[in-house]
Amino acid sequence: MSDLWRRCLERLEGELDAEDLNTWLLPLQAREDEGALRLFAPNAYTLDVVRSDYLERIRAVLEHLNGGAVNVHVSVGSAGAPRAEKPASAPVVNGNASAPATPSHNLDPHYTFETFVEGKSNQLGKAAAMQVAQNPGRAYNPLLLYGGTGLGKTHLMHAAGNLMCQQKPGTKVLYLRSEQFVSAMIEALRAKNMDAFKRRFRSVDALLIDDIQFFAGKDTTQEEFFHTFNALFEGKQQIILTCDRYPKEVDKLEPRLKSRLGWGLSVAIEPPDFETRAAILLSKAHEKGVDVPEDVAMLLARRIRSNVRDLEGALNTLAARANFFGRAISADFAQETLRDLLSTHAQAVTVPNIQKTVADYYQVRLSDLLSKRRVRSLARPRQLAMTLAKELTEHSLPEIGEAFGGRDHTTVLHACRTIRTLMDKDVRLKQDWDQLIRILTG
Amino acid sequence: MNQLPLALRWPRRQRFEHFHAGENAAAVAAVQRTVEGGDAPWVFLAGPAGSGKTHLLAAACQAASEAGKRVQYLPLRALRGPAEQAIRGSGGCDLLALDDVDALAGEREAEHALFDLYNRCRAEGATLLFAGSEPPAQLGLTLPDLRSRLGMCTLAMLRPLSEAERRDVLRTRAQARGIELDDAVLDWLFAHHARDLGALSELLDEIDRASLAAKRRVTVPFVRNLLRGGA
Repeated sequence: MSDLWRRCLERLEGELDAEDLNTWLLPLQAREDEGALRLFAPNAYTLDVVRSDYLERIRAVLEHLNGGAVNVHVSVGSAGAPRAEKPASAPVVNGNASAPATPSHNLDPHYTFETFVEGKSNQLGKAAAMQVAQNPGRAYNPLLLYGGTGLGKTHLMHAAGNLMCQQKPGTKVLYLRSEQFVSAMIEALRAKNMDAFKRRFRSVDALLIDDIQFFAGKDTTQEEFFHTFNALFEGKQQIILTCDRYPKEVDKLEPRLKSRLGWGLSVAIEPPDFETRAAILLSKAHEKGVDVPEDVAMLLARRIRSNVRDLEGALNTLAARANFFGRAISADFAQETLRDLLSTHAQAVTVPNIQKTVADYYQVRLSDLLSKRRVRSLARPRQLAMTLAKELTEHSLPEIGEAFGGRDHTTVLHACRTIRTLMDKDVRLKQDWDQLIRILTG
Repeated sequence: MNQLPLALRWPRRQRFEHFHAGENAAAVAAVQRTVEGGDAPWVFLAGPAGSGKTHLLAAACQAASEAGKRVQYLPLRALRGPAEQAIRGSGGCDLLALDDVDALAGEREAEHALFDLYNRCRAEGATLLFAGSEPPAQLGLTLPDLRSRLGMCTLAMLRPLSEAERRDVLRTRAQARGIELDDAVLDWLFAHHARDLGALSELLDEIDRASLAAKRRVTVPFVRNLLRGGA
């Protein structure tokens, strides 16, 4: 570090709020250049704040320390490398002349079909992604994977891209998050460089864009994406997209774009069921080299239903504590250490909460749901609510019966069996069930 | 106040070795591993005010900075200007410590900006540390994409120290500066002031400077006089 800057910081340490110092001045890097002091901020935001709030004071302190005016420059960058900072959000682009060594894709190599844990909830999505990878541009175009956050859409997308490259080395695959597409376009508009932008996105063999729901309300982006889409589609270049819901349900997405998204295949990725959650957990533990016995995997899978990321977070937390205490991960250890974490998931789900949610969902009165009336329009929701209570809480059958207007535990047991059997046949009921689980555990 | 001696303050004292871990030792270890290790998961520190979140984030920044990394501590409650813009303009560091994630809860655009920052840092191989008053699932975040990503972090719960522990820590910190805090002074401080260690340590700074300037021993009347603005 520049000695002059170090002394300046020491002086400022005494007069500035410690937190401000840590936030705004310590991240700066300094280099002395022929009598001038060059300060480098890590990002534009820090640069703005330093310029507006601190630069004057810095100049004054430096002048005092130096016994004369010091020329100070602040810019975004790094003292080590005088080159300009690369724009943070610009995607890696293939075929970039200045970087001939970059591979023909920017995929995460960890996301493959081999590391993807298949279950009922995602097997259609996996099959479709594999077919697309084996026959890009021809099987299904576009392939659209949709579903809630943290269910494996991005994993499948990368896996398809990785397989394409593996089968035909040199395949140009470009993966972007939707906001990277947006900022690349804004940048191109600003630099009056739209031709290059168009070329870049239209010259790939496969374009993968994640979370296109964030295009909603961005009309210029949608317009540009629409044209990109058409060009790729006509060129039989593969398009794979993900969205957090069925695209027709996304507000502020242009109708003509929605209709094109439906030209290929749209597959829902559902939240994984219990067995799949347990299998995912064991697979992640194996990847991380953490020893997790099956009963622990089952314990976590039973309690954490929201999404795969929460499962992974629980595993990370468990592994960190086991590592620190030098203990094996047993069911007891898991119970004990994850009390906090699990309670955050379990907390929302209480029997009264389930009853109220189910009543709202079916638009019946809570008092009716808990009454003795046995009309079908009440009995089915009531049975569903009991089954949810058994599934989502730790309460016993008698406790659940008691909470539902003082019913016998055999009534609860019967309800659970009825609902389970019906769900295999009745698609509508299964949808209600999934939806309610999502509401209660999301 | 202006004749008080200038003190070299934080971050010098907010290091890992100055953190009184108590029950929170596992949380400290998790943060340390993330700072040292290349691919250790990111950490989310959750705990009430005064449980040491900011201290740990500052300690992490220092340790990483000493290892030659570029770091920034960013309190989301005290951003300058609109939060969304500020977060979008952030990044470019090897380690970014984001304090007070609570402050963004319910601000959809700001949450979205943090979601983008998360993805950007992940893609660039940077490390993020987070702190908030509650675990991610309970912060009241509206963007599920952000909530689930924060949920993937190692969760480190921080518990505030008990009053007995806080008294010990405060006494030790005072001793390190050559101040003897007797029980009467401690009783008075705990009865009349915020009980979290961060606030108490700042108070100690003030007492230290004042007693140095006045060349007086620290007694209850002295402290009362000072903190009631009568110095």
